[in-house]
Amino acid sequence: MVIKKPTIFIYTCQPDRAVLKEVCAGMEEEGVFFEIFEQKETEPAQLAWQAAQDSMLGSGVGISGMDAACSMRGLPKKRCVQVCRNGNREQCRSLGANSARAIKRQPLKV
Amino acid sequence: MSYIAGVDIGNSTTEVCIAKVAFDGSLEFLASASCPTTGIKGTLANVHGIKSALKEAMGKLGLETDRISLIRLNEAAPVIGDTAMETLTETIITDSSMIGHNPSTPAGAGQAVGEVLHFEGLVSAKPGVPYILAAAKNHPYEVVAQAVNEAVKQGVVVKGMILQADEAVLVENRLEGNIPIIDEVARMDKLPAGVQAAIEVALPGETVRMLSNPYGIATLLGLTPEETRVITPIAKSLVGKRSAVVLKTPGGNVREQVLPAGEISFLGERDITVNLDEGAERIMEALSEAGEIREITGQQDTNVGNMFRRIRRGMGDGGSVSQAMEPSEESRIRVTDILAVDTLAPMVISGALAGETCLEKAVGIAAMVKTEKLPMEGIAKNLEAELGVKASVAGVEAVMASLGALTTPGAALPLAILDMGGGSTDGAVLYPDGKVERIHQAGAGELVTMLIQVELGLRDHHIAEQIKKYPLAKVESLFHMRMENGQMAFVEDSIDPRFFGRVVLLTEEGLVRLEQEIPMEKIREVRREAKRKVFLTNALRALQRVAPGRNLKNISNVVLVGGSAEDFEIPDMLMEEFANYRIVCGRGNVRGSEGPRNAVATGLVLSYMGERQW
Repeated sequence: MVIKKPTIFIYTCQPDRAVLKEVCAGMEEEGVFFEIFEQKETEPAQLAWQAAQDSMLGSGVGISGMDAACSMRGLPKKRCVQVCRNGNREQCRSLGANSARAIKRQPLKV
Repeated sequence: MSYIAGVDIGNSTTEVCIAKVAFDGSLEFLASASCPTTGIKGTLANVHGIKSALKEAMGKLGLETDRISLIRLNEAAPVIGDTAMETLTETIITDSSMIGHNPSTPAGAGQAVGEVLHFEGLVSAKPGVPYILAAAKNHPYEVVAQAVNEAVKQGVVVKGMILQADEAVLVENRLEGNIPIIDEVARMDKLPAGVQAAIEVALPGETVRMLSNPYGIATLLGLTPEETRVITPIAKSLVGKRSAVVLKTPGGNVREQVLPAGEISFLGERDITVNLDEGAERIMEALSEAGEIREITGQQDTNVGNMFRRIRRGMGDGGSVSQAMEPSEESRIRVTDILAVDTLAPMVISGALAGETCLEKAVGIAAMVKTEKLPMEGIAKNLEAELGVKASVAGVEAVMASLGALTTPGAALPLAILDMGGGSTDGAVLYPDGKVERIHQAGAGELVTMLIQVELGLRDHHIAEQIKKYPLAKVESLFHMRMENGQMAFVEDSIDPRFFGRVVLLTEEGLVRLEQEIPMEKIREVRREAKRKVFLTNALRALQRVAPGRNLKNISNVVLVGGSAEDFEIPDMLMEEFANYRIVCGRGNVRGSEGPRNAVATGLVLSYMGERQW
């Protein structure tokens, strides 16, 4: 039996460790749980879209190498909430925070 | 057959209408248009706006402006409105001694007291002394958490923490103990090490309890009765915050200063002087007690005196009135009516650490300046020269507005109108014998915009104007939003994520996002209250002055015209109020098609027909 937990899904493909760590920190600060799964797909937007589909909370993040994207269930594949390519610490942190804020119905960080 | 045009120049909008007069004398309205007034009402700069409005209206008919055979301008009321705001109190912190703000994710809950210790000093901390640890954002959360855990093992007592970065939850999750942590404090450098500090993080859904209470602060920091009295303004400004820090700085002081507000003098049938401190209600009472007003002045070298000087200078030197007047006219600028409203303005406390604000008492005032007759003849001549069409000044504004308003289906004589514009609210009663009683009053749409801007602490005048005009909604998901009246609206295409979780305005051009994080309910309340304060007060004031026997009960019909009558809620507010007096009141519908706009322009054309028949 598969039990779904209320978590944000993070689908990764050989993610940069620093990027992944900051994205997770962003979610943790907002108090939302997450789960990480390694995938074959390499396009961050596609990963994020699929993660959002599969997450019970409807929010997903995709990380491939240094690139990250966050999406929500219902958004078209090409239209992510936020994309950051080769982002710095703050950008990755805010992407993680925004994927959590999207669930909490709070305004996203700019 | 000929085309004639009616032109109404208002404080903010110029409106025109075009009618066709057939050979048999029958009249047919063909088109209308409006444009923003160019320059200040009554100056030659208006010609530009008139021309483009006429062009637009004639364009709708597929004709050039030279086909018009007569342009009729209104004899604009020689009144110009302006607004100003003055705060009456001011909170000053002479030494940094408080932080109170709403970080979105503080951690832990409860209060803590201790000596402020910067993170760098943690290694040399004395065991047993209660500390409040302050860490700047260059220290990563794992490092901070680990260092604290180790220090605690050595016997150092960390009671609470203040962080610069948004990492309270991250640090708290890695601590072994459970302490209140406040984050997102910008001015870390202003925190003096070694002083006693009390911090508080409220439970989820609550606001701080101890630090918003003077005795609570006294309990935590061990203050004397004298010191407790001094910190009262701190407690006041921390009300409603989710987290707060109060420092006990020696010599530090927060005080609420009452500014010397000054007096307003009404020179009229009776001369009355009233202090601004006494509030808007008393000021307005004094105004009506004074009867017919010759002039209103403010006491020199006080706030109100400066305010009046600004208004006069704005309209005088600034160009409007002095430009509007013939140079030969040596007439003085006289303020003849004011509308005062009480308001609370969030002002940044000087000396605060996180940009905290405090609600200060303030009075907003709209003033109206009476000038000598505006040089409308000059505008008419200019228009004639530029367009090659005969132009004439015809009829008093209020009379024309009444005539135009009378074309509203269901309206009957005697008819009262309220012309609610941007700068002034005008009232008039039109009797069956053609007699018109009228009055011009200060305070209309502009004052409402100013109140909204001030009370919500908005920097931008434009966004305040939009808040006034459009209803609100909150985007709750990518596919639905909740309207301010509780209704849900679902959309087919997903809403742009930038709007997510935000309060938005529903404008004709789509959604407009509000940058400030102010709850929708609060914005709505401020907006409605501002409209009520200005328009309800002014509507009653105006109609009481023009009503037969100065009794509202003698009026049976009120038609609302002018730009502010187009508002989505003002007419309803007035209708509810006037229902108490058994008055039929509602938004006008000029010619059954134009809504509350275009009343004066329509009246000008109608009056031409009347004159011809003579």
